[in-house]
Amino acid sequence: MPKKEWIRKVLVIGSGPIVIGQAAEFDYAGTQACRVLKEEGLEVVLVNSNPATIMTDTNIADKVYLEPLTVESIERIIARERPDSLLAGLGGQTGLNMAMELDERGILEKYNVQLLGTKIDAIRRAEDREDFKNMMLAIGEPCIDSVRRTRSSCARSARTACAPPACTKT
Amino acid sequence: MHENLIEKSVAGWKEIEYEVIRDGAGNCITVCNMENFDPVGVHTGDSIVVAPTQTLRDGEAYMLRHAALNIISALGIEGGCNVQFALDPNSMKYYVIEVNPRVSRSSALASKATGYPIAKVTTRIALGYTLDEIANGVTGCTCACAEPTVDYIVLKFPRWPFDKFVYADKHIGTKMKATGEIMAISTNFESALLKAVRSLETGMDSLAVPALEALSDEALEKQLHEINTERAFVVAECLRRGMDIAHVFDVTRIDVWFLKKIQNIVEMEQALRLLGSADKLDRAMLLDAKKMGMCDRAIARFVCSDEMTIRAMRREMNILPAFRKVDTCGGEFEAVSPYFYSVYGGATEAFPSGHKTVVVLGSGPIRIGQGIEFDYCSVHCVWALKRAGFDTVIINNNPETVSTDFDTADRLYFEPLTPEDVWNILEIEQPVGVVCQFGGQTAIKLAKAVRQGGYAILGTDLSDIDAAEDRELFNQLLASLGIPQPKGTTVFTADEAAAAAKALGYPVLVRPSYVLGGQGMEIAYDEKHIREYMDIINLNVQEHPILVDKYLLGREIEVDAICDGENVLIPGIMEHIERAGIHSGDSISVYPPQHLAPRIQRMVTDYTVSIARSLHVKGLVNIQFIEYAGDLYIIEVNPRSSRTVPYISKVTGIPIVELGVRASLGEKVPAMGFGTGLYPPAPTVAVKMPVFSFEKLNEVEVALGPEMKSTGEALGLAETAEEAYLKGFASTKMAIPRPEEGGVLFAIADHDKREALGLAETFASLGFDIYATTGTAHMFNHNYVGAQPVPRPGEDTDALAKLFDSGKIRLIITTPTHGRDPLRAGFRLRRMAVEYGIACITSIDTAKLLMKCVKMGSKDVPPLGLHDLVL
Repeated sequence: MPKKEWIRKVLVIGSGPIVIGQAAEFDYAGTQACRVLKEEGLEVVLVNSNPATIMTDTNIADKVYLEPLTVESIERIIARERPDSLLAGLGGQTGLNMAMELDERGILEKYNVQLLGTKIDAIRRAEDREDFKNMMLAIGEPCIDSVRRTRSSCARSARTACAPPACTKT
Repeated sequence: MHENLIEKSVAGWKEIEYEVIRDGAGNCITVCNMENFDPVGVHTGDSIVVAPTQTLRDGEAYMLRHAALNIISALGIEGGCNVQFALDPNSMKYYVIEVNPRVSRSSALASKATGYPIAKVTTRIALGYTLDEIANGVTGCTCACAEPTVDYIVLKFPRWPFDKFVYADKHIGTKMKATGEIMAISTNFESALLKAVRSLETGMDSLAVPALEALSDEALEKQLHEINTERAFVVAECLRRGMDIAHVFDVTRIDVWFLKKIQNIVEMEQALRLLGSADKLDRAMLLDAKKMGMCDRAIARFVCSDEMTIRAMRREMNILPAFRKVDTCGGEFEAVSPYFYSVYGGATEAFPSGHKTVVVLGSGPIRIGQGIEFDYCSVHCVWALKRAGFDTVIINNNPETVSTDFDTADRLYFEPLTPEDVWNILEIEQPVGVVCQFGGQTAIKLAKAVRQGGYAILGTDLSDIDAAEDRELFNQLLASLGIPQPKGTTVFTADEAAAAAKALGYPVLVRPSYVLGGQGMEIAYDEKHIREYMDIINLNVQEHPILVDKYLLGREIEVDAICDGENVLIPGIMEHIERAGIHSGDSISVYPPQHLAPRIQRMVTDYTVSIARSLHVKGLVNIQFIEYAGDLYIIEVNPRSSRTVPYISKVTGIPIVELGVRASLGEKVPAMGFGTGLYPPAPTVAVKMPVFSFEKLNEVEVALGPEMKSTGEALGLAETAEEAYLKGFASTKMAIPRPEEGGVLFAIADHDKREALGLAETFASLGFDIYATTGTAHMFNHNYVGAQPVPRPGEDTDALAKLFDSGKIRLIITTPTHGRDPLRAGFRLRRMAVEYGIACITSIDTAKLLMKCVKMGSKDVPPLGLHDLVL
């Protein structure tokens, strides 16, 4: 039983196919996450399009969807499964991008799905170049703009092009 | 192309990472810190990384730790987080480079390096727990708020794909190029580095690289200025030639501490070389070399001896490795699920359990051709062995994987997968058997060493493995069974090759006989081409002959089967969309087959049964076929688990690895509950699609061929084939094109033009604008398919760039002529497509499949879970 007692059914988003920069580490992280959720007696719904992973085994999650990691596809799974919460911080940048997009499009709100772990605005603070810079300025931590990637713009184009752009640094 | 540039002011600074974790109540700790060997400017994924940091002063470490905790608290992270800093080595100045508000590759490394399971703790934090409420699984008694203690050194080395992509740009910078990594644990940097080099499986076992040793001083100095994947070896060669450390530091900005460690290794090498023979090697010196992590084979080479002599000497001198524990707490508490690493000197902390133990050999770093599938297989093998009542041991060195999680096997050894390193562990563990068939080519290659060491292989026998892997033996086997394979012969010279090809009839498949996995393969369409190939290959003296095979332009078929030595179960037949000539790992694979006549399916089953039986397979076997002109030919037999096993297991519901393990243990297939022969196909369709990382790899040919190029795969699972294709394309981020999004550009090799014409006609009829490069446009227009001519790169690159920039091109269909010359127009066109982010298809068969999906248009396909499958 989790400390947050209202949690019953968790949707976990995996990191999808192995590409350079996003490899087996998220199968390791995701598998651990699913096991913890099950140990806590929760129902686990997993979506990950990568069939070569341990985490997409039927004994790791209760419901396994080897489905595309697109907002449309995940929305259909949410509509069908009605999870009460979402764990996205273990699916690499793909998982995080999906969580942010589901939130932006109002899908999390529509189906009343709570994001577990780091809150959306905290993720955005870390991901958005300007917000991050301002936050670092405010706490007196020096940061260099040019070294940080422009992740939000990369993430956007990644959804339209066949290939993620070169600057995605994970 | 946009690439981030590192600001000049921090170039050459140290790159330091902190793995920090914070709970919802605001408690936070640092799990570990890590230091990049390469200074700022090289992506941390492409850098050698050590944990804990080695060159920081107390004040610096304290300052950065404080900053990391400050940042994670200010951001309000709940869970694991990675913070990267640039630190000026000459002042206390630093900058935050990057923050990953999630678990990452670095956190996986930190977890394996320290035994602190960041992902698990992150999940518990997400459920509302605070750090003091979460237990540590390694010790079983400490809690997650205790920062781990690291009383050893961990080193991560990236694994790059440049053994496959020999013409690619090997420079490293802010864009990551490594496909995987390995981790080595030891008590000193030198031995961690040398263990790492062995773990990479790139054929090296020391820092001495013949190609670098052959360079002139000027050429070497030039190399030192390059930031590429050879860097550590170049540094070693410079130091070997007596170059001043200060100069190496000035050029590379690699901390002097690291350079001195490399110098230690080089000096040891030199001292050994000076001996001239093994007789002069005394115990003290050999022990020093072993403490430094040198393997017997490398020592043997330095003293002009052989590995087995050195091994025998070493054992006689009682120089044996000890195995130390990683327990997260520096020995303060008793660890319940520890893992081990070898050192020379000191007492061993690993003891045989006394139970019946089986050792499973893992698959090492993720690389093209040997991916996560083999980790899946290794883990399932361990689970099956546990269920069968065995104590399990896994040997692997990949920190990213589930197999190296501390609670997967009963005992884990984080060690290189070489004969010497494996023997050391087998000596301690005294297993009743060793499993070599689930760790890909890495593990199967060790079968010989396992037998040589006097240990039993669990599963298919060594002689039968050889019968499948040795070309001559394999030919004899097929001939005796009356099973056809494409005609072929072996040659050495260009003349012989040309004569052989002429006799066989073009096209032919040419490849060196000593490599596996499609390396160095090419399809030759004419004599000019084959002579070109032979000239390139004969640049190096060839010890082994070159194979020339008739290339059958047929349909490729693949099966995985379970055999107990006699009875065979085939979970399913997979059919490839692209015809033979494209590596099976790069083809779209469909289960169950959509175009195979029942007669062919029966032949596939019959051939599989008779081959598995003749090879006395105990466990798994993977067989690849070609259907050509109504006949079935065998092209490859792998006496081991393959990359298709995970997906076929999932969509058929047959636990293939488990059954394979049980068959290896002597259980009979008919008793397993799934019958024998071909298992009835599922009513659903599963499509496995390859996924590529071309945008990360400059100067790599995008067109598919006999050498594998994909880094991963995605699945499309649905009730009909068409829907499965749609989902498959969506999973690979290949959205189905619509005419309003832009036109289709064709650049087609002569031998494909006729087929491409039909495609162009259909795309045009669906409303797409058709563009084509000069020659292709001419042919299309001549055949009444209107195509706008477009210059090829080289003819007018600017005009082409302008066209790509305009967004008028949505899809490029381009098939390759031959050769790998980066100057070819087709090659450049495909690279441009990647750089402009335009979808690019390089096989007519793939294009036909995509066209089917275009015809269907956008369609909402309902999700289908594995639990929905009626199996």
